[in-house]
Amino acid sequence: MRRIGLYLALFAGAAVSVAPYLMTLNSAFKEPAQVLTTRAWEPAFPVTLDNFAQVWSEYDMAGFLLHSLVYAGVVTAGQVVFSTMAAYAFGRMSFPGRDVLFWGYLATMMVPQIVTLVPLFLIMREFGLIDTYLGLILPTAFGTPYGIFLVRQYFRTIPKDLESAARIDGAGTLTVLVRVLLPLSRPILATLATITFITTWNTLLWPLIVTNGDATRVVTLGISALKGQYSSQYHLILAAAALALLPLIVIFLLFQRHIVRSIALTGLK
Amino acid sequence: MTDNITYAQPVRGHRRVERRLAARARTVAEAYALLAPSLAGFLLFLVAPIFGVAALSLFDWNLMGAPSFVGLDNYRELAADSEVWRAVLNTIYYVVLNIPAQTVLALLLALALNRRMRGGKVLRVVFVLPWMAMPVALGIIWSWVFDPRYGAVNQLLGMVGIDGPNWLTDPAWAMPVIASVNVWQYTGYTMLILLAGLQAIPHTLYEAAAIDGTTPVQRFFMITLPLLRPSLFFVLVTNTIGSFQIFDTVFVMTQGGPGGATDVLNFHIYQQGFQLFRSGYASALAMVLFALILLVTAAQFLYFRKRTVYDFS
Repeated sequence: MRRIGLYLALFAGAAVSVAPYLMTLNSAFKEPAQVLTTRAWEPAFPVTLDNFAQVWSEYDMAGFLLHSLVYAGVVTAGQVVFSTMAAYAFGRMSFPGRDVLFWGYLATMMVPQIVTLVPLFLIMREFGLIDTYLGLILPTAFGTPYGIFLVRQYFRTIPKDLESAARIDGAGTLTVLVRVLLPLSRPILATLATITFITTWNTLLWPLIVTNGDATRVVTLGISALKGQYSSQYHLILAAAALALLPLIVIFLLFQRHIVRSIALTGLK
Repeated sequence: MTDNITYAQPVRGHRRVERRLAARARTVAEAYALLAPSLAGFLLFLVAPIFGVAALSLFDWNLMGAPSFVGLDNYRELAADSEVWRAVLNTIYYVVLNIPAQTVLALLLALALNRRMRGGKVLRVVFVLPWMAMPVALGIIWSWVFDPRYGAVNQLLGMVGIDGPNWLTDPAWAMPVIASVNVWQYTGYTMLILLAGLQAIPHTLYEAAAIDGTTPVQRFFMITLPLLRPSLFFVLVTNTIGSFQIFDTVFVMTQGGPGGATDVLNFHIYQQGFQLFRSGYASALAMVLFALILLVTAAQFLYFRKRTVYDFS
């Protein structure tokens, strides 16, 4: 009896977790009038693709998605490469200044993002990078303290003997990193890539500040502008929101094992 | 290497030391070469802006022309600005709505899932599904879900004969609705971290306590809660820091309204800095937000330090 109650509560919670997604998707397939006349959970009938076609053709949804893909893709690639390099130095090498620098990196994780934005905007303006991909990408493409910390912690769990064996065989630092450590670190690198991509894809504030033209408008800006303009045309903005969420859901379902495990690990340090 | 050998073969000893020094110098050079890109990004895009914002907060500058030094005037002005105080209180209100609800729900879920059960793994994934959603898209979806006429919430309430309020245009309800987005999004994530903490507690403790004739409630307060403190501490600190920076959902759902009821600090800073171009004033406000976060984090550290045995290795 208690077991049944427990299951019921858990399934109610699970339903609340997915209901907003499902209702959004459902309504995006409804005809405009039906979005207003039927209840949110009533299934779409007849099913129509007009809403998607409209945001796709009239509002450059494809452009928004493409710009976000470039932004998130490049930042993710940079984060994985440069965080790995820095994590190797911090986790496996000893050099003067290492601990001071590492604590410096960690300390900045407490600094709220908005603190850096006015000066960052000024830096980008100084270099003429307003409204360019470079301006969007630069602040996060060299590896964030979070990424470096995540990979460093993982590197420290790999036995030193493996590395020493390779060193005795004459391998240099780069060879050790690429041939010995990286193959063992695939799970954490997949996790870092997934989390970085999702975070960057979802970012609003920095693109809002550093870009203003159509050529670099990312999907967060695109759909929030759409919401500002057509706040009551739910069939349109819900279809746009569904399209913005779709890549995330695909990535999440592909990498859910890595994600679930890595979240669990962050708390255990 | 003994002294004996060193004295007997001084030349070789010197070479060995030299070789070791050269190897060491190479290691240091390699380490800094590996660090170089991230260090450049760190110094230019994180450290420099942090010092920059502190300096800018002492200037009056509309981003055009020359900035003029005004000393602490920005801070004097914000201390007397009732909109700033409202934004500070709104931010704290948001955090207070958000963190306890999210943490308690997550703890209950973690306790429920901390057993071998059918479908446990699938449930875990389902609960984490909201975590990766784009807050901007959620803002759009929530605006619809809480739409007074066409939204699911008032339609559900209507079925049981309740006439739901105009959620987002009602000053009393707008902030709780915005907080509910965050609770929905992060409860599963917090649950996972707490669940990992629960699973790290040795079973033998519970068995021993059960033999001693304790009740489940006693075991929760005497074993589970104390041993879960490190995980609880972690989620409280990180979620609180995150909550203080609420922006996206406010930007999409209310733009700080109705009547400033959801004008939180981050949004206020954005408006001052990038819509009114008062970059000095916005920088001073950013310093205030930073100080607020530091203060709350330090308080959490002090509170938990007394009760937690920490392993900082």
